Amino acid sequence: MAIGVVAGIVLAAIVALIGLFKLMWRVAEPNEALVISGSTHKTEGLGQGMGFRIVTGRGTLVLPGVQAVRKLSLDLNETQLSVDCVTHQGIPLRVKGVVIFKVGDDLVSIANAARRFLDQQKMMPERVHIVFAGHLRSIVGGLTVEDMIRDREKLTGQTRMACGTEMEKLGLIVDSLQIHEIEDPTGYIKNLAMPHAAAVQRDARIAQAEANRLATEAEQAAFARMAEATRDSEILQAGYQAERDKAAATARQAGPLSEAAARQEVVVQETRVAELEAHRREQQLQADVRKPADAAAYETRTRAEAERDARISAAQAKARETELAAAAEATRVTTAATADAQAVEARGIASAKATRATGEAEAAATQARGLAEAESAKAKGLAEAEAIKARAAALAENQEAVVAQQLAENWPAIVEAGAGAFGNVEHMVLLNGAEGMSEMFAKALTMGGTGLGVARQLLASMGQTPPSGTPSPAAPPVNGRIPIREE
Amino acid sequence: MGDTGADADMVGLTGRVTGTVGPGLVGEVIVRIRGGAEHFLAHPVSGTGRIAVGTVVTVVEYLPPRTVYVMAAYDN
Repeated sequence: MAIGVVAGIVLAAIVALIGLFKLMWRVAEPNEALVISGSTHKTEGLGQGMGFRIVTGRGTLVLPGVQAVRKLSLDLNETQLSVDCVTHQGIPLRVKGVVIFKVGDDLVSIANAARRFLDQQKMMPERVHIVFAGHLRSIVGGLTVEDMIRDREKLTGQTRMACGTEMEKLGLIVDSLQIHEIEDPTGYIKNLAMPHAAAVQRDARIAQAEANRLATEAEQAAFARMAEATRDSEILQAGYQAERDKAAATARQAGPLSEAAARQEVVVQETRVAELEAHRREQQLQADVRKPADAAAYETRTRAEAERDARISAAQAKARETELAAAAEATRVTTAATADAQAVEARGIASAKATRATGEAEAAATQARGLAEAESAKAKGLAEAEAIKARAAALAENQEAVVAQQLAENWPAIVEAGAGAFGNVEHMVLLNGAEGMSEMFAKALTMGGTGLGVARQLLASMGQTPPSGTPSPAAPPVNGRIPIREE
Repeated sequence: MGDTGADADMVGLTGRVTGTVGPGLVGEVIVRIRGGAEHFLAHPVSGTGRIAVGTVVTVVEYLPPRTVYVMAAYDN
């Protein structure tokens, strides 16, 4: 029993402790801040605070009864804006939008907001609406409608400039400012857009018209092509029909045509038969009529020709006979004459033969003599020619020697001729010795004949250069003995 | 949680421009912070140039609660 009581007490104490702890321990949720006031110590978060501390995101120990704990929501709030305002151009507009804002997360912002809105958190959008409405009027008053429509950056920038600082004072931050709608009672915006709309409409109508035109063109072209195709098809069909008709007609006419062809063949054959019959008849007539007539005519003609030939032959025979008789007579006379002539001729011939034989014999003798003479003359001439040739060869070989030889051979005659000049001289005195003798002798030789010029030259040359190896007739005059002997 | 530290750490973070930053404008950058991404009103640190949307920027100065001064992270 006692154990049960003790256990009960302990349990109650534990429960009481847990309850007490639960009363004292407060936890700040993520979207709220705890603002704790009532104790001067532990002024955490605000160094020189106003006696309260701010706790976010964690738990803290609070003394119930001593300290007061308030919660400030950090959630998002929104304010619908509907502001009548006038633009820079004096055009009245109603701007509708929304502002999304919250309490700033930093401790300064939380402190500012806590001081201003802790008991009036429900009224926060209303306050913000007032602030924004006033600022929006002034902002819109500085803008034109075109700016507001086209330059949202400018609108938000100006809004931030005007309201940012204001909201900073309140510890709030603006997450988003959106202009939903700009109502335009005077229709300014609509009229502003009208030229563009008209232009767009015009372009649209132009495009539509162009498209219609193209479509119509395409349709008409298609129709034209269809008609063309139909025409071509009909032409082809007509052509084929014509071919079919032609073929059918040909087929229809085939029977009569073949019949006519057969008939034509028959006629041709009949004609051929008739021709053959006519030919046969002609042949018959030839054989029956013409050939006998021809034979008769031939017979008559042959007979006439034979008779004529017979008569001609008779006449010819007669003429021949006469001719032959005359010829025989003539032959007889001729024969007699011929015999006489032959006798005379034979005599003449015999005489001529005798004469000829005598002449021939004489001619042969004469010829033999002539030949012998000619042979001897020829031999002599040949010998002379040989001698001349040999002399010419010798002359060509050693001209002077040959001349000297010649001179030596004829020397006696020469000397004799030369000596003739001295024939009348009785006494001769030589004053110059052998040289004087030679000189005078040479002069005498010169006078002896013109043909001795050569000898004189030779002697002159002997006096200067006597030739060696040659028997010189001038050698004796050197010693001067030979001319004396001649005397 | 170190919230004070986190606020101080804003300086040096990189972010992306989502609304043109420039002189006379109130721009907007989105920065990864506190496990999420938040946007801040942004002004240029210096000069006359505009920083176009999409440019990567570095946070140079943080003025609580929601204002930063930025400069382009990469020249050109």
